[in-house]
Parts: sequence; structure tokens; C-alpha cells
Amino acid sequence: MARARRGMLLQCDPSIKALILQIDSQYNDIILEELDDTHLLVDPTKVDFIKHELNRLLSKNIYNPMEEEEEQQ
Amino acid sequence: MTDVDSTKPNEASTRVFPKMSESFFSDDESSATDESVVEEVDNDDTFVNVAQEDGFVSTHNGANPVRKPNRSRSKKKTGTDAMSMLAQKDQSFLSHANTDIPADFEPDTVSGMFRSHDFSYLKLRPDHSSRPIWISPSDGRIILESFSPLAEQAQDFLVTIAEPISRPSHIHEYKITAYSLYAAVSVGLETDDIISVLDRLSKVPVAQSIIDFIKGATVSYGKVKLVIKHNRYFVETTQADILQMLLRDSVIGPLRIDSEQQQEGQGDSSKDGKNSDPKANVNPNDVEAMFSAVVGGDNERDEEEDDIDAVHTFEIANEAVEVVKKRCQEIDYPVLEEYDFRNDHRNPDLDIDLKPSTQIRPYQEKSLSKMFGNGRARSGIIVLPCGAGKTLVGITAACTIKKSVIVLCTSSVSVMQWRQQFLQWCTLQPENCAVFTSDNKEMFQTESGLVVSTYSMVANTRNRSHDSQKVMDFLTGREWGFIILDEVHVVPAAMSRRVVSTIAAHAKLGLTATLVREDDKISDLNFLIGPKLYEANWMELSQKGHIANVQCAEVWCPMTAEFYQEYLRESARKRMLLYIMNPTKFQACQFLIEYHERRGDKIIVFSDNVYALQEYALKLGKPFIYGSTPQQERMNILQNFQYNDQINTIFLSKVGDTSIDLPEATCLIQISSHYGSRRQEAQRLGRILRAKRRNDEGFNAFFYSLVSKDTQEMYYSTKRQAFLVDQGYAFKVITHLHGMENLPNLAYASARERRELLQEVLLNNEEAAGLEVGDDADNSIGRGANVHKRFKSKAVRGEGSLAGLAGGEDMAYMEYSTNKNKELKEHHPLIRKMYYSNLKK
Repeated sequence: MARARRGMLLQCDPSIKALILQIDSQYNDIILEELDDTHLLVDPTKVDFIKHELNRLLSKNIYNPMEEEEEQQ
Repeated sequence: MTDVDSTKPNEASTRVFPKMSESFFSDDESSATDESVVEEVDNDDTFVNVAQEDGFVSTHNGANPVRKPNRSRSKKKTGTDAMSMLAQKDQSFLSHANTDIPADFEPDTVSGMFRSHDFSYLKLRPDHSSRPIWISPSDGRIILESFSPLAEQAQDFLVTIAEPISRPSHIHEYKITAYSLYAAVSVGLETDDIISVLDRLSKVPVAQSIIDFIKGATVSYGKVKLVIKHNRYFVETTQADILQMLLRDSVIGPLRIDSEQQQEGQGDSSKDGKNSDPKANVNPNDVEAMFSAVVGGDNERDEEEDDIDAVHTFEIANEAVEVVKKRCQEIDYPVLEEYDFRNDHRNPDLDIDLKPSTQIRPYQEKSLSKMFGNGRARSGIIVLPCGAGKTLVGITAACTIKKSVIVLCTSSVSVMQWRQQFLQWCTLQPENCAVFTSDNKEMFQTESGLVVSTYSMVANTRNRSHDSQKVMDFLTGREWGFIILDEVHVVPAAMSRRVVSTIAAHAKLGLTATLVREDDKISDLNFLIGPKLYEANWMELSQKGHIANVQCAEVWCPMTAEFYQEYLRESARKRMLLYIMNPTKFQACQFLIEYHERRGDKIIVFSDNVYALQEYALKLGKPFIYGSTPQQERMNILQNFQYNDQINTIFLSKVGDTSIDLPEATCLIQISSHYGSRRQEAQRLGRILRAKRRNDEGFNAFFYSLVSKDTQEMYYSTKRQAFLVDQGYAFKVITHLHGMENLPNLAYASARERRELLQEVLLNNEEAAGLEVGDDADNSIGRGANVHKRFKSKAVRGEGSLAGLAGGEDMAYMEYSTNKNKELKEHHPLIRKMYYSNLKK
């Protein structure tokens, strides 16, 4: 019998897809289906969590000179 | 009001920076300063007229002691005038700044958002639009409108009294610090001058906090001097009470060498008389020095010192010098190091002059004028961009001092370059020029000369060979007129400390392009060498065509999905390899090379990672040079790059960062770099700044930095750019290279190729991911801080047959003795002299 599940289509760069896959590997309940290089079907309730995690991971790659200044002070 | 004020800053800037005429390099001291004095006084307006009325000009020319009473009287009078002028100014401009926040000040609705940074109580002056600067009362930051007509003069002044923080095209930022004020004082500026000029330039009245800061920081500067006499160090001051205070100091007192103490306190009475003058509250020299600053030199003060003959000195031991300097800085009496080379008759003169064909650029002259402003040589650091002729500045300074010179640089390649430049630009004879490296250990035979060496040779503490010990004894045993420290920023504090303390040099000059370090050790240089005397503006030099105009771009290369997945899985070091070997980056590199080769550019590709360097170069069929490339091959490749139309691209590892001089290169692509090193970025940019074609109409050099998106590299890349951005360079971000997909023979176009590349990269061990440990400045001088550096395995792999290894083949024995070899290398002195000197010519 066919089963229906609610999902949300996510379009992103290949690298971001890889990042989401990595996040998923820890929780296993985010991605419903990998469609292609740039599209994913994810659990709609987890979208905020994904956004939050992505921000956290990607902000590590951003250099902010102001932060450093604050640290010095 | 507007009229008068708009001319005043002009006057201020001529005052701060005396025009250096040709006579600057001549021996005739009086013509160098006095003539220009008269001219300037004649040309100038109200402010200096006051001085003229008081007989300032006539007294200035008089070097004879007979005039002295007259002079000191007039000094007091001019001082009174100046003080009252300043006082009036204070009253009119600073009346409400005195209380910091005036009582009638009502914060408006948005004030709360700025909290302590709300400076709206500082009222704009009516003519604020013609004044270029604003000073933050809380931290001494100065914001300069560089589009203002007065900006150029203001810049000259600010660069003397403050640190340039950021200088893009429209708004510049400077910061007043205690060090920068120290530097300002050491080039002959006085407290009141600084404040009054700032006041003239500022849109709002200068805040009391800033005035207090400047006063507090400068009032005691320049009172204590460190002098080398007969190879021994003496602390000198003109005031007995300061000497007493220093001797009572818990740190400095014990460092004094008692037996050698010599005090000649004869002129006390005359000084007491002066101290009683209420206007000269701190130092009798202050007021007159203010006017001698007007004319750009404090010869006057020096003369007076000679006149009253009241110099109090005590001797300190050579190894205590740095302690004393540091302590003096702490107790707010920083020592000035000056060398009166024209009156030094003890050290033999060196016959050295610039060749007539040698041309000095205006900014080089300006930087030197800071160093020799009053006819004496000051120690300090000069900061010029790469390719702007730092070497020539050093050589000109040496030609001005005309005493024995020692030059220290970072590698043996630059040793040879310095030597060659000396012979090229000035009349130095080759026999006066010695080189001290691990291969060449020479001394000059004449009584004065030039020695070029490396930091590591001089600072070496391990056992030396007999030869080099002999040369070291020679170096340490004599008194040097002048020491040039090239690329002074790379030298770790401990090493430069050792160098500075082992070699007794009267004047020290540090040269660098990038006075930044990731480990914040720059301030150490203040004690070791001296304050920063001059820092050039990169943008200005490129506008005037002294260095090339460069377009900078950061190219974002998205990581392919496979690479990014592996990237997320891997350890930090392996990650680096993955983002460097990113196929998209490779394609971007290929595309850019093809594009620029078609335009007729000569391209250098930089990669710190040797594995990537080889992969890229082999795949694209381009020549490459890295640490282990033999010298012969290097020269071959570089020559082909210079002269062969077929070779338009070369790949260089770290070895090319500094020592390779390629004026043909017009385009630079960076595929991997040393983490977030701002200095490396600037040094690499320096490779194309000296582009030969820079003066062609509309010529641009290109600097590309290829960065893999969403990786750590983005972080480093932004950090690296900080220095260049502060110099006014703008980095364009290119997210997509148009037409890259359609490039014929595009590498890694298919998914299969990319997977193969990934496999290959993953198979590499971490060793390949490390940065090259090569013979560049960073490594040979050993900045130990970097934990990521790895050394290659010491194991040697050899080939041999099984029988051979078991001893079954014919064998001949030879005895190796290191000592024997050394003896063999040693030629007879006569042959050595002939052979080596021929080689060098």
C-alpha cells in the first residue's frame, strides 16, 4: 500500500547539500529523499533546525574583523 | 577666518616637513637646513612672522656662543608669544571642551544609542567643511577626508604623529598612540606643535582628553639619549635631575657601570636660571624647540647643548641596553638614539657616494628626510611597499652616513642582491664590500667597508666553524656607523635582540613593506630598532606610477559535491588538500591562465602546497619551481619566463614569495596560501607591483585569489586581505567566471575524472597536505609558533641489488672525514681573494 508523507522541497548548492547530509548523518530524521545534486526532500518540521545548524557551521568560515577587535578590548 | 585658516595648515605641513634640497646629501650641514629656513620664513604668513619680529632668523644662523644670551632672551619672548597665542586659541576654541561635556548640553533622542561614544556635544566649527579631520576623544582615532584640498598636507602630518590604520580612497583612518607620538618627537616635533596643527585641521575643537594624552605622552620625550662612544654605551641627558632620577631608579640604577661614570656638571647655574621661567614649565628647551621645529630641525638645541656643555652621562653595559631602554619607556622617558655622524672623526670614513645617474624618488627622499632631519642619523623603521625601492633608501642612507655599514637580510639570495645593488647604485669599490654567508666568509681589508650578511649567520649561537668565528669576532670587535635590517618584520624578537646587542652600530635602519605580524610582536621593534619614521601610502605611489596599478579579485569556486562530502569527513590538514585540489578551482585556474595568456600577460601562479603545485603544473604543462628545484633549473625557468614568448606562465611555491624579482610578471593567481597570513598576501602582491609595463596607458596588473566556497579557506582569505584592504585595495568577488564551461580541453569536466582526482587526493597521506618547508624567509628564520609545519622524513631511500647489499659485489672503500673536506675547500688566501673577487664581478 502506498504511503504518503509530508515533505518540503529544498533547493541548494551541492556543497550545502553535502553539509545537510552530514547534519542528517547525526540525527537520521531530517532527509526524506535525496532527489539530485541540488534538491532534497526534508521533514518540514526540521527546517528551522537545518537553518540554524547551517548558520552555525558556515559562520566558522567567515572572518569578521570586528569580532577580533572586540576580543582584544 | 576662512582665509587665514585655510593657509595655516599649509604652513604647518611645510613646517613639519622641511623641503629637502639637493644639499641634503652634501656634507655642508648649514646649507641643508639654514637656507631653507630663511626661505620658509620668508614665504610663510602670520605664525612665523611672530618669530621673525623677535629676531628669530638672525639668532638661528649664529652658531657662536657669543650670541647665546641674546638668543635665550628672544626665545623666551617668542615662547611667551606662542604661549599666549595658544592660550587664546584654547580659550576661544576649547572653552567648552575643557569640561569635556558642557553643562548646557542636552542629549537628543538618539544619544542613548551611542552611550559613551556620543560626541555630539563637540560643536562643529563654522568652517568645518574646509577642515579635513575629526578626532575621536575616547580613543584617539583620527578620521581624515582624503578628498579635501588639504588632505595631502594633513596626511603628511598625520603619518608622522599617528599610525595609519586604513587608507582607502576617500576616508582615511589614523590612530594616535604613545608610540606614534614617540616617533613624532624623535623626528623633531614638539608637543605644542602637534596640538596646534591638529587643532587647525580638526572640524571640531580638539577634545581635552586628546590634548592631555598628547601632553602626557610627549612631555618627557627626547630628554634622554643613548650614545655610543668608543664602542661603549652611555646614557646622556642635559638635566641633572633627570640623571639623578634615572640613577635612583630601581632598575636602571644598578645597571650603571661605576668606574666609568663621568659627570661634567658645569652649566647648572645657567639652566637653573632658565627653569625659573614660569612659561617653560617643563623643560627650557621646549619653547625654543617649538620654533626650531618650525624650521624643520633642532640644530639649535644641539648647538646649545654644545654651548652649555652640561651633558650628564653614565655608562651602561652593552647587554643592559635593552633593559634600560624598556625601563625608560615605562617611566615615560624613552631614550632617543641619535648618531652625529658628521662629527664622528674617530671612526674612519667610508668612501661611498651615490652615482650621478642614481635618481631618488620624492617619497624616498621624504622618508630619508625623516631620518636625517637635523643632520644627525636617527634609528628607526621605514615602511615602503614591495617594489618601491627600499634597497635604494638603505643605500642612500649609507651614502649619507659614510661610515662602515653592515646589512642584514633574510636569505643568501638577497645578500647577493644587496651587494649587487650597492655596487650598481653607488661608488663603493668591490674590495670594500664583503659578504658573510655560509658559503662566503669574507672581511674587508680596508679600515672601513660594507658587510652583507644574513640574520641567521650573525645571530647563530651554536658552534661556529673557525672561519665564521673569525668573521664574527671581526664584526663584533668594531664599531659600525650604520646597520640596515632588511625585512625587519620577519625577524623574531629574540633574534633581532641578539643581533642588535652583538653588533655595535650607531644608527639602525629597519626596512619593511608590511609592518604586520600575526603574533603581535611588532611593538618589540620599538625598543630594538626605533620608532617608525615613515610609512608610504600605497595608493598614492600607484597613482604616481611608482608601483603598478593592481586589480584584485577573489574568485569563489564552489566545491563539488563529492569533494565537499569528503571535506566534511576529513581531519583539518587533509581538508586543506581537498579545498586546494577542488576541481572547480582547477578549472578556474586553467580558465584564468588561458584568458590572460591570450591578453599577453605573464602569469605567476602561487601555491604553498607542493603537491598541488606539481599536480596543477603537470596537468597544465607549465614549468614550476619549488624548494627542492636545483638552482640551475630555477635560473633556467626564470630566464625562459623572462625572455621566451612560449613560456608565459610559471608555478611558484613559497620560495617565490620574496626573493624572486620578476618585473615581467603582470598577473598573479594564488591557489593556496599560508593560512591567514596578511604579510604573505602583501608580499605576493609585491611581485607584480614592480611590473615593467606599469607606466603604459591604462595598464592594470591582476591579482586573483582562488578560494573554495564554504570552506575554511574563505575565512583565511578574508583575513589575509585585511592588510591590503587597509592600504586601499578593493577586492572584487567573482562568483562565476563567464564562459568557463565552454573552454576547450577543460580539465575535470566529467564526473568520472573528478572522482578519479578525488581518489588520488584521498590516497595521499597527510604529508602531502602540509605546507612546504622551504628556504623562504619564514622558515629559515624559524618562526616557531606555527604548529602546522611538518618536516619531511629523514629516511633516505636508496636502490641496490640484493647481492650488493649483502656485500657480494665489488666494493671500494673510501674514508670520509668532514675535517679533511673542509681543509680541501680552504684555498690559499691569495687564490681565494683572486678567485672569489672574480666570481663576484
